[in-house]
Amino acid sequence: MEFVVLVKQVPDTTEVKVDPKTGTLIRDGVPSILNPFDQFALEEALRLREKIKDRIPVNVTVISMGPPQAKTAIMKCLALGADKGILLSDRTFAGADTWATSLTLAEAVKKLGKFDIVFCGQQAIDGDTAQVGPEVAQLLGIPQVTYVDSILGFENNKITVRSLTDDGYRVVEVKLPMLLTCSTPSSFEPSNPSMAAILKANKKPFEIWTAETLGGDKSKFGLSGSPTQVSRVYSPPVRGKGVVYKENIEEGIKKVVEALMDKKVI
Amino acid sequence: MITVSEKCIGCSICAKTCPFGAITVMDKKAIISEACVLCGACVQVCPVKAITIERKAVSADLSSFRDVWVFAECEGEKLKGVALELTTKARELADALNQKVCAVLLGTNVKSNAEMLGRYGADVVYVAEHKMLEPYTTDGYAPVIVGLISKYKPNIMLFPATKVGRDLAPRVAASLGLGLTADCTGLSIKDGLLLQTRPAFGGNVMADILCPNTRPQMATVRPNVFKKVENPRKAEVVEVAVDLKEHTIRTVIKEIVKTATPGMKKIDEADIIVSGGRGIGSKEGFKLLEELAELLGGAVGASRVAVDLGWIPKSAQVGQSGITVAPKLYIACGISGTIQHLVGMKDSKVIIAINKDPEAPIFNVADYGIVGDYQKVVPLLIEELKRAMKK
Amino acid sequence: MDYTFTEEQEMIRQSVREFAERKIAPIALKMEETKEIPMDIVKGMAELGIIAPTASPDYGGVGFDAVTCTIVAEELARADPTGSIPVFYLIQASWGHVLNKYGTHECKSEVFPRVTKGDWFLGIATTESDAGSDLGSTRTRITPTEKGYVVNGEKMYISGVREAYNRGGGHVTIAKQTPELGTRGMTLFYLPLQVKGITPTYVDDLGREGISTGGFTIDNVEIPKHYLIGEENKGFYIVHEGYEFARGLISVICASAGLKSLENGMNYIKQRKCFGTPIGKFEGIQFKLAEHYTKLSMLKDMAYKAMHTFDLEQKGKAKRFEVSKAIAMAKLFAQEWACAAIDDVMQWQGAFGYTKECPDQCAWRAVRSFGWAEGSKEVMRIIVGRELLGREFIPYR
Repeated sequence: MEFVVLVKQVPDTTEVKVDPKTGTLIRDGVPSILNPFDQFALEEALRLREKIKDRIPVNVTVISMGPPQAKTAIMKCLALGADKGILLSDRTFAGADTWATSLTLAEAVKKLGKFDIVFCGQQAIDGDTAQVGPEVAQLLGIPQVTYVDSILGFENNKITVRSLTDDGYRVVEVKLPMLLTCSTPSSFEPSNPSMAAILKANKKPFEIWTAETLGGDKSKFGLSGSPTQVSRVYSPPVRGKGVVYKENIEEGIKKVVEALMDKKVI
Repeated sequence: MITVSEKCIGCSICAKTCPFGAITVMDKKAIISEACVLCGACVQVCPVKAITIERKAVSADLSSFRDVWVFAECEGEKLKGVALELTTKARELADALNQKVCAVLLGTNVKSNAEMLGRYGADVVYVAEHKMLEPYTTDGYAPVIVGLISKYKPNIMLFPATKVGRDLAPRVAASLGLGLTADCTGLSIKDGLLLQTRPAFGGNVMADILCPNTRPQMATVRPNVFKKVENPRKAEVVEVAVDLKEHTIRTVIKEIVKTATPGMKKIDEADIIVSGGRGIGSKEGFKLLEELAELLGGAVGASRVAVDLGWIPKSAQVGQSGITVAPKLYIACGISGTIQHLVGMKDSKVIIAINKDPEAPIFNVADYGIVGDYQKVVPLLIEELKRAMKK
Repeated sequence: MDYTFTEEQEMIRQSVREFAERKIAPIALKMEETKEIPMDIVKGMAELGIIAPTASPDYGGVGFDAVTCTIVAEELARADPTGSIPVFYLIQASWGHVLNKYGTHECKSEVFPRVTKGDWFLGIATTESDAGSDLGSTRTRITPTEKGYVVNGEKMYISGVREAYNRGGGHVTIAKQTPELGTRGMTLFYLPLQVKGITPTYVDDLGREGISTGGFTIDNVEIPKHYLIGEENKGFYIVHEGYEFARGLISVICASAGLKSLENGMNYIKQRKCFGTPIGKFEGIQFKLAEHYTKLSMLKDMAYKAMHTFDLEQKGKAKRFEVSKAIAMAKLFAQEWACAAIDDVMQWQGAFGYTKECPDQCAWRAVRSFGWAEGSKEVMRIIVGRELLGREFIPYR
């Protein structure tokens, strides 16, 4: 059985700062990490593999699209237990929006040939769009379940998962092949690859695929294949000097609550 | 263009799947009729991949795409509040373009919501009712929406960035090869195009996004971002006949569970934190803060002193030797604002300080400050909030 | 010249950093009170494979070289200002190297699988009340018997005595076998602590509270032949290899603890205002920051360079004396520079810097120990002087 995990290397957005004067992102020194949702997705795939390994042998392939440095994220996945890594890396892929990204990933999954479950994180922490999973599922023509926080069962070519809704959850059963996007539960503690596993990871198969490998018209990839265009990036408005109410407290409270409602803070 | 290739084996799965009843099987081959709206449901289910849809890049005649559409999400038979927020926004965009607002209602017994949508500015409401459209499933909803888009060619389509909207919108976008902008916090018309504003990099920057060459221009919008404002009119209701079969929906819902409101949140997960310091004076004092936090669906935090005095557990401590937080709203009560505390909370989006001492450094970082005893201020604040939240 | 880490080493750094930030940093200051490294941390380190990583994979280790071990040390020191876990790590990594290289198959098969799993502790016991860097004054005796050896004596100021005595394991120990030959008559061996004849004693340290310090008397303890490490009467030479390994790790631990403290300091001086200005704007503070940062970065680079030389020597590509000199130079200023930096960071933070809540004071107390540990800073000066002027200039000769 073939599991595919789609992952992304992202800047650790908790470390990103904005220059208050110029409004530009200060990316220097911001570490690149494996998107935390994707790590959870990978670990779910590995856990499921472990659970069913006596009945069904499973291969876990990790695919990522990104610059050559994104190999680091794939290597981490290999160290965590994936069997094979594929990096989709080509200048042609650069500047892709979610549609072009999904198309590229979907073509790579198709090129693998057989796939039974595609695992994705619910979203990447740099873009937060949560679109790539469903779009890949559509392009592969397979059903999807989004916001899955646990896999409840697996048998007879069917998977049962718990999928979060806005006010609770659903238990959903789907036949394979299918795609699921994973929501990290708060109890999840990401694993660290052990030293021995890191040493082993270097010996696992790793391939770089280019636009050439995927074939077809190159204009469907990257910036030229992207329907959306970023026209401007700027910093959110900075906090102005605060207002302090000293005298008429009741009036002050009213104003504060109004402002909170206006700003949609509450 | 939809085509059926030689690969077709006449299994008729597609015919049973088509929500619009547009496929028949004759002489072991699928035949597609005029009723086809290119929704793509058949492509998804064909076991031999015999059906393909070629969608032309829509650069030729963008002007044929008109009107601003809204996916009006329902919960059961009831309209979700976000649907009206989107309708209000759609009205504003449509007026700027001199086009119509159309809402889409899917489900069972949802037609009655059309009137409400009209009250908030919808000119037309497309209603598709079918027992297979309740509860929501990706496979049930996506082909219906894709079909409607293919048929009516809207200029703009807005989805709520709820779990359902975020599941559905990308599926629709991918069927049609469209761009989709997620979680917009601002939408306006610029040179006839939809200017979509959204936060990126964990909210560190804002980005303006355009979608110049594909139609409809699609976006999802978080609930509570736009206000709903009435703009009444009588909406024309257009009923859309759909026919969904059980096997069209590949996911089987075994159970739907609504979880009760969870208890007190942890401070590093909370969007809103009500924090107390030495000025709270006692363990009992924190009860008042808990009340405020509960009202706002937030968590209770504390300064180091309050933790040391045993008024509240260490897990609630904000600051250098505690936890660093950056919630949407931080309400500091009776906290003077030592640098060790400020380091841990200065990145909060909005800070309110309540303190007796007008010279307390906490006021230097606060967006709003109220000078006074928390025992007097917090009850007033709770009262005022309750009043405001009722509206 | 290639001045970069391998891809593998970068991954190792990342994995250890994540583990250290997630698991160690939150509980670090607690160890000051509980006076032990929590067992789940020890087990976590074992699972990660960073306890005695120098042991070869045949015995449960991962066979790390000196540079890779240095990376791990740097990351642990960033996360644990108390220094307890860095010390726990560095001793077992260093003496793991020695045992792995010179120990017998039987001894390694017995000790390493348990040590790398975190069940046992592997320490070093050379110091005595009257013999530290001056190993020639060692009084503990080892005498061959028919079955093996018998050991008598007393060791003092030894790390990890409680760990090995209570949980199992032992110490790489040095004793005189042929006293008339002086340092050329010393033998190195593995001494388990959970045996009859060992009586432990403990001392209360100034810092790094999570790992015990103490000593033990050795009263007619019999050990089997296969506990011998290297050859009889060659212990003095072998033990220096372990010390050099440990000194290199200590240098990077000092640099890393100091740099982490400067990070804390930077966060503070950017925020804290005095006379209406962030105090980081004052040259009296800013210049010190620049100087400390530069010195500690030099220190870190020297530590890696020295450990790189160590690795080259292991492959026969560098000379012994080059290693000794490079390592001694890297350790010579390590404690002083790191303490000076941390001391200033404490000063910047005002009275908070003097509270037990301030992690920097913990770091200061921990780093201070490295002025002595694994060879005093005075001895480092003697080594560098010796390598520059020649053996005839050794002061005690």
